[in-house]
This record gives sequence, C-alpha cells and structure tokens, in this order.
Amino acid sequence: MQAVKLSLKKANKIPIEADTVSPDNFAGKTKEEIEAILAWYGNGQCPLGDFFTVEVEGSDSTENTKIVFDGDVSRVKRIGQGMSAGEIEINGNVDMHCGFGMKGGKITINGDADSWLGCEMKGGEIILNGNASYYVGSGYRGESCGMRGGKITVNGNAKDYLGEHMCGGEILVTGNVGLLPAISNNGGTIVIEGNATMPASEMKNGTVIIKGEVSDMLPSYKEDGTEEVEGVTYRKFVGDVNASGKGVLLVK
Amino acid sequence: MPVIKDAVCSLCGSLCDDITVTVEDNKITKIENACILGHSKFVGMFEHDRIETPMIRKDGELVPVSYEEAIGAAAKILVNSRRTLSYGWCSTSCEAISKAIQLAEETGSLIDSTANVCHGPSALAAQEKGAPGASLGVIKNRADVIVFWGCNPVHAHPRHMSRYSSFSKGLFSTKGRKGRKMVVIDVRKTDTAKLADRYVEIEQGSDLLLITALRSAVNGHEDVIPQTVAGVSKEEVLELAETLKNAQFSCVFFGMGVTQSRSKYKNGDGVSSLISDLNQHSKAVMIGMRGHYNVTGFGQVATWETGFPMAIDFARGFPYYNPGETGANDVLVREEADAAIISAADAGAHFPQKAVRHLAKIPVIQIDPYANPTTELADVVIPAAVVGIEAEGTAYRMDAIPLRMKKLIDTEFKTDEQIAKDLIAKVRELKGGA
Amino acid sequence: MSEILIKNANLCDPIQGINCENMDICIRDGKIVESVSENAEIIDAGGRLTMAGGFDGHTHSAGKINVGRFINPNDARRKLVPGLSGPEKRTEKTRAQVGYNTPNTYAIGYRYAKLGYTTICEAAIPMLAARHTHEEFKEIPILDKMGLSLFGSNWQVMEYIRDKEPEKLAAYVAWGLKASRGYGVKIVNAGGGEAWGWGKNVNGLYDPVPNFDVTPAEILMGLVEANEKLQLPHSVHVHCNNLGKPGNYETTIETMKMFEKVKPTVDRQSLHVTHVQFNAYAGTSWRDFETGAPMVSDYLNSANHLTFDLGQVIFGPAVTMTADGPVEYANSRLLHEKWSNQDIELEDASGVVPLSYSPKSFINAVQWAIGLELALLVEDPWKIMFTTDSPNGGSFVNYPEAFTYLMSAKKREQVISGFGQMALDRMVLPGIDRELSFYELAIMTRSMQSKMYSRPEKGNLKVGSDADIAIYDIIPGDIDPSVEHEKVKQAFSGAAYTLKDGKVVVKDGQIEATPMGRTYWVNAKVPADIDSAMQKDTDIKFKKYYTVSKSNYMVEDSYLPNPVEISTEGVF
Ligand code: SF4
Ligand SMILES: [Zn+2]
Repeated sequence: MQAVKLSLKKANKIPIEADTVSPDNFAGKTKEEIEAILAWYGNGQCPLGDFFTVEVEGSDSTENTKIVFDGDVSRVKRIGQGMSAGEIEINGNVDMHCGFGMKGGKITINGDADSWLGCEMKGGEIILNGNASYYVGSGYRGESCGMRGGKITVNGNAKDYLGEHMCGGEILVTGNVGLLPAISNNGGTIVIEGNATMPASEMKNGTVIIKGEVSDMLPSYKEDGTEEVEGVTYRKFVGDVNASGKGVLLVK
Repeated sequence: MPVIKDAVCSLCGSLCDDITVTVEDNKITKIENACILGHSKFVGMFEHDRIETPMIRKDGELVPVSYEEAIGAAAKILVNSRRTLSYGWCSTSCEAISKAIQLAEETGSLIDSTANVCHGPSALAAQEKGAPGASLGVIKNRADVIVFWGCNPVHAHPRHMSRYSSFSKGLFSTKGRKGRKMVVIDVRKTDTAKLADRYVEIEQGSDLLLITALRSAVNGHEDVIPQTVAGVSKEEVLELAETLKNAQFSCVFFGMGVTQSRSKYKNGDGVSSLISDLNQHSKAVMIGMRGHYNVTGFGQVATWETGFPMAIDFARGFPYYNPGETGANDVLVREEADAAIISAADAGAHFPQKAVRHLAKIPVIQIDPYANPTTELADVVIPAAVVGIEAEGTAYRMDAIPLRMKKLIDTEFKTDEQIAKDLIAKVRELKGGA
Repeated sequence: MSEILIKNANLCDPIQGINCENMDICIRDGKIVESVSENAEIIDAGGRLTMAGGFDGHTHSAGKINVGRFINPNDARRKLVPGLSGPEKRTEKTRAQVGYNTPNTYAIGYRYAKLGYTTICEAAIPMLAARHTHEEFKEIPILDKMGLSLFGSNWQVMEYIRDKEPEKLAAYVAWGLKASRGYGVKIVNAGGGEAWGWGKNVNGLYDPVPNFDVTPAEILMGLVEANEKLQLPHSVHVHCNNLGKPGNYETTIETMKMFEKVKPTVDRQSLHVTHVQFNAYAGTSWRDFETGAPMVSDYLNSANHLTFDLGQVIFGPAVTMTADGPVEYANSRLLHEKWSNQDIELEDASGVVPLSYSPKSFINAVQWAIGLELALLVEDPWKIMFTTDSPNGGSFVNYPEAFTYLMSAKKREQVISGFGQMALDRMVLPGIDRELSFYELAIMTRSMQSKMYSRPEKGNLKVGSDADIAIYDIIPGDIDPSVEHEKVKQAFSGAAYTLKDGKVVVKDGQIEATPMGRTYWVNAKVPADIDSAMQKDTDIKFKKYYTVSKSNYMVEDSYLPNPVEISTEGVF
C-alpha cells in the first residue's frame, strides 16, 4: 500500500491543471519525486511541490496507491485524468474534469464537483458526496461518444446536460438534475431519483429512469405501457422518435 | 468631391455593400442607401465619444501618453501575466483578428469573441449537428417561406428584409413579399412579427419544445405531440409543419432569442436537426442573425488559425477549446484572469456584475475607437481607427461571405491591426530582454 | 546570391527520365542550375532518395475545410499519425498546430512540407467566397498554392450554354478566374448544384437541370470548349455526376468518353477526372455494391486524352467536403452524421459531413480497394495522380502509409487479411501483385502534375526549374520496399530535407524555416468587344440577383501577398 496525501498550501484562483495527478503517475514514487512532477498553472508549469505539501507513506503499485486531497481543491482541474487503477479521495470541492477519461480505480469526492465530472469515462467508479455541476459523464465538444463505461454516483444534485452523448456505463443521481439530462445518449443507464427537465432529448439507445417529477417532457416519445423496476412501476416511453431511437425512458 | 460607391456598412451582420459615401475635407458629408443604424455609424463617428489619445492610468487618473508609451505599458502587463484574457475583436477586420490571435498565442493568453455573449451557442450547436445554410442571395432568389425565430430584424438588421429576405426579389421570387410566407416565432409581438403572415407566440424558454414538436410533426409522429406545446396548440404546430414541408425553399433565420434562451445551444442544435428533417420533403436552410458586423469573421479566422471559433486558451502553447471553461465570461466570473485586453467591446454592458467586478481588480488594456464604460476600468487605453471608415479590411457577413471594407477617410489613429502588431513586437522585445 | 550544392543525391526525376541515379544538384537563387561556385553551401544527401518537391493537385486545404474544422472541434486533438497530427505547441520557428483531418492552416503548411510536398492545389473555390480561400492561403506557410474555381452550376454559364454563346462563355470563365484569382475550371456534379437549390439532384449526364434547360453533358462540353478557347494551363477538372452511388462507373466512363473528341489547345490532357475511387462503383445498390475499377481501368488503359486522381480511402476518421451538396445531405442521413451545407447564390452548392472508414464495413473495405485497384490496374502512371482527396478519403498525413500500399503487396495483404469474405468477393485487389517503384511513385506524386497543370518549373529538377526538393532517408539500392514497407513509410513521413525555392525548410523531419509561398492565378486575355458584351450580362446578374455589388466581388491584390500571374491568350 502506498498512501499519498496532498494538502494545498495556499488557495489559488488560476486553476492548477493536475492531469499528472493519478495513481498511475504516483505509484512507486517518493515524496521528492512527486513534488517534482510538473503541473500547468496558467501559461507556465510549476512543480507540484510549489502548490502542495506532499506526504508519502509506503511505495506500491498503481492498484495499491491511494491519493488523498486534504481539503478544498476547487481550483485544481483534471485530478485523476485517465487513471487506470488505485484510489483518489478528495475531502473538499473539486474543479472541472475530475476523472476525465478514467479507465479504472475509484475516485471519492466529499464535496462538490465542478463541470465535466467523469467526462469520457471508460471504467472505474466515481462517488460524489455533494453536488455536481454541468456535463457529468458527457463527451468533449463535438465528440459523439461521451461516457463509455464505469459508474458515477452523485449523492446530491447535478446541473444541465448530465450524461450528454453517453454511450455506456451508469450514472446515478440521488437528487435533482437540471435541463436536458441524457441528451443525445446512445447507451448506458441513468437513474435520477429526484426531478428532471426535458430528459433524454434525441436518445438513440439506453435507459433513463426518473423517479421524481419530470418537467417539460419533450414531444418526441411514444408511451408504451408500463415497466417494473425493483418493485416500482413506471410509465414507459420509447424514443426519441426523431432519432429513430430505441431508448427507454421510465417516469413515475 | 470624392464619392465612394459600394462601400460596406460595418455595423450589423448584414454588411450591406451598396453604400454611397460622399467625402469632403476628409469628412463624410453624405451617406446614401444605409439604414438609420448604418447612417449613424458613418456620421455618428464624429459625434460619439472618441478616445483622442493613448492614455495610461497614473495615480488613479488616465493621463495622455504617446502610442509608444501605451504599447510599452500594455506589453509589460502581458509579459507579467499568467492568464490574460483577450476579449472582443468582433467590430474589427479579419486582419486585426489574425494579429490578435498571434498575440494571444505568443503570450499564452486566452482569446474570446463577443460570441461569448450572443451567438456562441450557435457554434456549439454546429458542433453537434452541423450548420445547413446558404448565402443570403440564395434566400433572395428562391425562398418562398421565411421564418424569423427569436430575432427582430426590423430593429437589429433594418435592411435585411429588403435586401435578402422577406421583401427581396430574385429569379424565382419575382413577386417578392407577395410570393412569400413570412412566419415569426417569438415570445412577444415584435415589430417584425407585425409584418408576418403568421405569428407564433411561444412561452419564454420553450423553444426546444416547439422545435421538437415540429420535428415530430415533420417526421410523421403527430401522435406524440400533446394538445399544447410551448404554449402553442397542436393544430398550429401541425399547420406550421405543413407550411414548412410544402415550401419550395424555406429558411429559418434565428437570433439571440433562440441562442440565449433556456437550453441555449440545444435550440440551435434542434433547429439544425429540423432543417435536416425538412429536407426529406423540401429544401430548407438556416442562418444565424449575427449582430456585430464581424463576429462571423472572428469565428472564421480563429477557426483556420487555431482550429476553434472562439474561447481559445493558449496557456499550454497550443490551442485548447472548451466554452464553459475557456470562455471570457467563465474566466472572469471565476476570477481566473489576471490581466485583460478588451478590443472594441463594452465588457461592462455584456457581462454579469461579478465578471465586471473582477475586471476592475486586474490590469485592463482597452483598444477601441470609442470611450465606453470599459474605459473607466482600463489601465492602458489605446485608441484605434474605425474599421470600415478609417481603415480597410475584411469582414464576413452573417452567411460567411467575405467582403472588403473600404477606407473612406484618413486618420492619425493606428489601426487595430497595427496596434496588435506593435504589441507583438514589444512583447518579443521584453521577453528577449528578460 | 545564394548557392547550394546537394552532393551525392540519388535522384529520381521521371521528367528527365532519371531513375534513381547518383548525382549532384546545383542551386542558385532558388533555381536549379548547371553548376555553382566553390562558395556554395553543401548538403550531403549521402546517396539518399531525392525527388522534386511533391505536388498535391487536388486537396481541400483552404476555404471549405474551415467548415470541417468548425463542426469538428474534436478533430483538433486527434493524434492518429505521430508527428503529423494533434496539438503541438508553438516554437521559435512554428505557430501552434492542431488537428488531423482538418488541421489549422499552419499545420497544413508544415505537415505537407514534412512529407516533402511543396505545392498544393485547393480543389474548390466558390467564387463569391474566393477571398476566404485566399485569406487561408495567406496563412499556409511554405507551400506554393493554386485553386480551382467552381463553374459547373453557375447561372451565367448555364445560360450561355443554353443560348449557344460560346465566346461570351469563355469571356465569363476568364472573368471568373480573374475575379476569384483561380487557376482553373472545376466542375462538380455538373448542374447538380443548381438542382440542389431545390433539394434535388441531376441523375446523370442527360438529365436536364431544372429551369435552365441544359444537361450536365452540355455543361461539361460547353466549359471544356471555353477552357480550350482560353488556352488555360489546366484542363477542366471534373467531379463526375452520380458520385458515391453504386453503378456510377458507367456515368464515369461515359463522361470520359465524351471528351475523346476534344482537341486540347495546350500540350496537356483535355480532361482531369478527380477522385475516381468515389466514381468507380458497380452494382445497383449498397447491397450488391462491388468494385467498378476493372471496367474504369480498362477504359483508362485505352484512352490517352485524360488524367485522373485516386481519392484513396484511409481507414479511420475522415471528413467529406464537396460542392456536391446533394451527396453530402445523403451521406448525413445515411450515416446519422452532422451536416453542414452552404449553397452559394447563382453559383454552386456545397456540404461537409464527417465520417469514419472501417475495415469491418464491407463497403468501406471495397472503397479502400478500389483506389488501389485503379492505381495498379492502370498501366501508365503518367495518367494517375495520387490523392486521398484530402480529407474526403482521409487526411494527407497518411500519404506515406498509402505509398506502402502501392509499393508492397505484402503490406496490402496485411490489410486485406482483416476484411470479411463479403468484402473480398466484391474486389479484385487480392489478385493484383503489381508493386510500384520509386520512379512510378515520383510520377504520381510530382512529375505528372507538372504537365497536368502546365507548370514546367515544378515536379522536376531540370536546369531552370524551381529548387523545390525532397530528400528522403532511403538508399534506393539498399531497400526492398516490398518487404521493408515500414521503413519506406518512416522515410516519407519526415523528409531528411525539404527545400523550397532553394531554402531548407525541413531538416530531419523538423521545420527549419517558414517562407511564404506563391499563389498562382490565371489571367486569360479575351477580346475587348466580347468581354464588354459579357460584362453587360454580368451587370444584370449583379443588379438583380446577387447580394453583393460587382465591384466588391473581385478579389483585391492585397489578398495575394506573393502572386504569380499566368497570362494566356484566348483564341477567338
Ligand atoms: S442593415 Fe446593417 S449593414 Fe445594412 S445599412 Fe443597416 S446597419 Fe448597415
Ligand atoms: Zn475533392
């Protein structure tokens, strides 16, 4: 087991781009080596040691490496980008693109997450104990496939465009979501326990379950009886008809 | 007495190129063919509050300095910055925009256009679905159904309807307005709506619902449309869909009412899909009603030089694009920017309070012919020639047709292009010396 | 005066008939000369393969490509070909770069130069938007550029053909080239652009264009007559009708045959047919779709009046962009892809649709094979220009990969082994064992272009020619491209040296210098009386139908910082 603890020395406004912060990149490295890893900060690069107090215990493989952010990192972007294994725990708010393209391992955030949480994620798990902003599990601009695998759990609310272009994997939101969740999705499962507005626009494939209220149901779904999931009966809608979609939208 | 014909009006995205300008004693004394907005730009130049000299803020006061001194002070700000925002660049020439992009690249800055607060969402929409359009003359010659959605050309683009759309005549539209159906979709009965054959009033923010309903109707899925949608009756939705399907050639002109309403770019995205669906039945295209005369040009130049139309972050030395993260408003509201260049844009009027408050805290360089609330915030003020009047250059009409703006009168002021070039040179000098 | 002596070059220069012979090359002030003084800077080529700079005579690199960039920001980050794609930081010598299929302008210049290419021809200039093409040209470093102006659905053209006014038509073509600073006449799906104005298409050579009472065949014949009357340096450049449709090979051969009777007034072909891969389809639907390349190649082997280019497919993402508006709309519906369209008043249409070619799709596999079949079944390489119709069939940065398909049957076998039986049944490629030599490759990538575009100073290293030179890290005698195809690919992916006008612009695959290239355009002289009669008609078009003023239509000098005006004398 290797444990790495990062504590931000001083709150920052210009975001630190922490795409180098992942178990893959930290495993087997010493405190000094980790401190020397460069991160972008505005238009220049600085060693992580400039920003963080780094504590390292043990040395181990990626799977057995855990990184803990001690406190708020709401201006640290791209934590865990592309990670394949191991664990990251963030005890505070986190900035955009956390878990971008991650392939495996686990990220736990005890705080709020800014936009693009788990964007283009392929595997692994993200647990957010707080609120999410825009574009949870979506794709990069212009891309036709967003999240492809893995699971994101939001124990809180999420803003607009949750799961945009999702092609696989699972998203669970225990609270409410904003506009247009599951837009243009083409696979995967989204469960929203709270309320949603205009869900599943242009869904081609996939399943969306909304347990709370739906506002502004889009006029592009055919009602098709009911379906029972885990003992609860939902009205079943199929669409989006304008995308010749076979997606299933279950609402209360 | 020189009379200049076929001058381009550099006010709105219609970019009318048939203006006749009379110049006497290096002053414009007569304008023909321009609308009232355009007219006021040509003559108003002398009435507006021109910035008369370069200025630097010293002890809280803006004091006159030479161009050289102002450029030097501005370059120093740029060299010392870790995250400069360069914003505006939509009321200037493509040649100036090109240099502004190079400056941003060399200083690792972020550059964004005024599309950030107007038609930016249409770019995002195009990135989802593409942009099925046509040059304006295609509408003039062919369209028998014209829809204005969330725009009010009577006030914003006064000659649009006579030159390009509703009232224009062409090879296959010899009857002009009489041979056309004009539909206006909006949340209130605008002056444009008053001229329409059909006005469809929708509930605020429900554009996507109506777009989706129209698509369902066009695609033969009437059954999924509820009795009312977006405040419009199903019957009316079906009628409108029929009108569009039965057209020979239809065009949807969409404005900020669409791009800036709830669900933003997904509206444009939806319109684009609607146009695609309509083409299964008849020819249809869409065109965004761009406001600033060269906001389209910024998008074009930025796209060929950086790959992206706006919100470009050069922090890492190569362009990165992600509106919502790299937009002007995004980095101001988050208080990321530590310096700003604002060119020909009134940041004070366009951005939310929080963004403006942040601007007040950081060094701001203004490049503009005119004083405006941004001047109050600026630390370095660099006056510029008015492009299209005192300087020539390229601008792109709302339909991406490039036109050459003429220089009509002489000026002592430097052009935006020259100012950007001077800044690049000075930045290089400072960096080389460091 | 600057002098360079390239010693010990293994020169492959088909125009001079030199086939990989060791010799020295002398350069003075950007041109090839007999000899240089002792002060000449010396480059030791070390026996490595040396050719004239490459010449891509059909690429979409300025203008419409911007729509491709605009709708696909996701292309910017694609790093599919190392060193030739994806984001790259600015350096002291180079601007920042992005992209793969739709790179930014700087990347286009640098990356072509790295491949040893020094000249490109943009395949489609919509005249009303010509400034845009030239604005992008200005930002493409290093390369010499030219562009072809679109005439195939132009109202005035169709009316003159209908009204049998060949002289005015020629005058109009001359004026259009001058207005748009174009180099030649491009015809895309003749008449189809106008039909697309109503959401329709023309279905072949004899299907009349709605409202204009002319057929595509008449448009083609009318324009070729004008082209030859004006003695233009390039022939008409034709994108055939029915592109992309199974069974279209018949239209293609019919089109080619129509030009047999044309007498070119310049010593070159009378017709260039572009991206024939997309026009060599047999079958009657996508279900029974199969290669039409053998039929087309048979005809090409029997004909001597034309040249063609391949439009080779590269597997992976691509972006289609063409003035063929109806084809793009059909593509987007078929593939459920993004669709951009831009009809140009009185002139033409256009569309842009991204797509991806997969070896798993039998259609894509057959398309891939057709391009190679054409290249290998047509015997005379002087008729063939190598292209991918970049980025329609794939990005030009894949040229080195594609060269190995041409030079190595083993490499082809490797790719073919991934195809399903259905694909194999619909192609003839597996039975072809021809492998091209460096000499033949040089013909297809630079030498034939010299004649095809009447640019005697390009595509060869004769005394007097431009010193545009590529040296590749291959010793021709020491390599068997059939087996060592990976080495061939490496060498062509980053030239050891690229010289542009005698200046080293690439060294060891890296950019050394970024001079501004030229823009060639054609000024064809027309008798004044014919010109003024034509201008009267044009005036009416502007007054009644265009939305810009005639005076604002002409591209001004300031858009061509380094112009080369090619004057021709019309024969009336
Ligand atoms: S419509 Fe616009 S471009 Fe035309 S004259 Fe009026 S303000 Fe100028
Ligand atoms: Zn082409």
